[in-house]
Amino acid sequence: MLQRKNVLSGLLFIAVAAAGLWVSRNYPIGTALRMGTGYVPRLLLWILLLLGVIVMVMGLRAGAGKTQADSETTSVWRPLIFVTASLVTFSLTIERLGLVISILLLIGIGSLATRELRLIEMVLATFLLIVLSVGIFIIGLGLTIPVWPEW
Amino acid sequence: MDLFHDLAIGFSVALTPANLAFAFAGVLVGTLIGVLPGIGPIATIALLLPLTFHLEPVSGLIMLAGIFYGAQYGGSTTAILVNLPGETSSVVTCIDGHQMARQGRAGAALAVAALGSFFAGTVATLTIATLAPPLAKVGQSFGAPEYFSLLVLGLIAAVVLAHGSVIKAIAMIILGLVLGLIGTDGNTGGSRFTFGMTRLADGLDFVPLVIGLFGLGEIMVNLTQPGHTRSVVAKKVTGLWLTMQEFRQAWPAVLRGTTLGSVLGVLPGGGATLSAFAAYVLEKKVARDPSRFGRGAIEGVAGPESANNAGAQTSFIPMLTLGIPGNAVMALMIGALTIHGIQPGPQIMTERPEMFWGMVASMWIGNLMLVIINLPLIGIWVQLLKVPYRLLYLSILLFSAIGVYTVNNSTFDVLMAALFGFVGYVFIRLECEPAPLILGFVLGPLMEDNLRRAMRISSGDPMIFLDRPISLCLLIAALLLLIVVALPAIRSKREEAFQES
Repeated sequence: MLQRKNVLSGLLFIAVAAAGLWVSRNYPIGTALRMGTGYVPRLLLWILLLLGVIVMVMGLRAGAGKTQADSETTSVWRPLIFVTASLVTFSLTIERLGLVISILLLIGIGSLATRELRLIEMVLATFLLIVLSVGIFIIGLGLTIPVWPEW
Repeated sequence: MDLFHDLAIGFSVALTPANLAFAFAGVLVGTLIGVLPGIGPIATIALLLPLTFHLEPVSGLIMLAGIFYGAQYGGSTTAILVNLPGETSSVVTCIDGHQMARQGRAGAALAVAALGSFFAGTVATLTIATLAPPLAKVGQSFGAPEYFSLLVLGLIAAVVLAHGSVIKAIAMIILGLVLGLIGTDGNTGGSRFTFGMTRLADGLDFVPLVIGLFGLGEIMVNLTQPGHTRSVVAKKVTGLWLTMQEFRQAWPAVLRGTTLGSVLGVLPGGGATLSAFAAYVLEKKVARDPSRFGRGAIEGVAGPESANNAGAQTSFIPMLTLGIPGNAVMALMIGALTIHGIQPGPQIMTERPEMFWGMVASMWIGNLMLVIINLPLIGIWVQLLKVPYRLLYLSILLFSAIGVYTVNNSTFDVLMAALFGFVGYVFIRLECEPAPLILGFVLGPLMEDNLRRAMRISSGDPMIFLDRPISLCLLIAALLLLIVVALPAIRSKREEAFQES
């Protein structure tokens, strides 16, 4: 398991470095005395590429064929999908629908990230969180966030 | 005496009602997250960064600092009573602390943890006050080549002393350095990795990055793990005091822990966790009868608990005097300062003395508050453990979203936080620690700037780093650290030190 993780991390570093090097291919490099825009970033990306290769090779050499089963009981994807979705929804709704509705949506979608949902507890918590958010951010800090939808 | 004059300025800042309130809020939140497992000081400070944006810089720093050292107190409470470390820095406290609790000596264990921490906090505060001014002077005499080499040493040391794979940590630093360079190049005006987005012209925003990597990434990882069943030892804690014999056993350990923690905290990569582990190992070594450890030896609580608090506080020294963060929490502090337009470094003490000394004074006040918050109110904290994680994570998620949005009133920032949450989750699952990345991110522009200046001094000759004696020494030290950590014997010792349990 640990070794597979090293191979994947190595590949990740290599991919990021390669993408960065490709994006910065036209950045002026300049000389050591007069460094251009691309000098330091490209230098760093080459180092990253090298380190990625080392990490990957170390992972490949150390444990061939040793794979362990995942120890997690819950899905690996579930939190990732719903936490991300709840934030994206929040960013889309906060300015148009206001704080209260955005919070309801965020909690509604976010709570799907786990299967341990309890309805009554959730309603109470949501109410408390809305009161707290309005109290801290709108009344306490005096921020100009719309609370209700603007028609 | 200059020291007393400076401290007087500090107390006049720290004792204003507003700053007292922020110190109190900080240590209260710190204790809270210290008690709750599954959310650490890094994530909390990241989550509260947006809030400090709306405060005075001094007040913001006082609050953030309070969270950091407050968490060290809170973490010990759950370690002792529930055998569940609230923070990684209190993992070793579980060993003997919980044994003491099972023998009915929970009161003594909690008392020694709180009093030891308070003593350590006092010493650490004085250490900062005496050590910081001369260090800042040294820092001010550094030229660009020395400063660059110092940054290299700082970054290398930070990963060598932290746990996990060194080579992956270095890769994460490099990645952080690159991310720090996104945006318009201050020297040439060219834009880098902005993909034509004007939002990225000023660089990646700090708040969405850290909230994503630490706050959101951590939530998602916790959600994939099966729900913890927390069996609270809900027995009433009585006798919150030490017997004469316990006192005699504990105080040398407190002294040793404080000294060790104060030293290790100053080192890059040091701080609370390393100090606590090292202190436990030390106590076991010097004990006349090491077999008592693991069966409720009071030294096993007194040493590490003093050490983690001392280490947490002295790790502010390199950050405040040289602008170099030794750990991720300090990188967040630097981020908080930069949000306010303050560049951390040696000049801070001369340009903003009220801020520096105000923060130092507030640390001592905060430590005093912590003893009061922790000892009599211990029952309340234990009750808090009953809050299920399914409610906790929703609150964290919500406050992350609102917090990120409020910094710039920008929905783009919320999307960036979601993106970095995804990235953080991938990193943690691949066992690539995100902490070094933040160190790199904070120092990226600073390193490039100093590299450029050094090259201008030497007309483009990289040998300047080896020609200057101080710079050479710093680089040799960095190289030695790397060689040492590569040696198999040391490497296994290092693994051992982090797995003492």
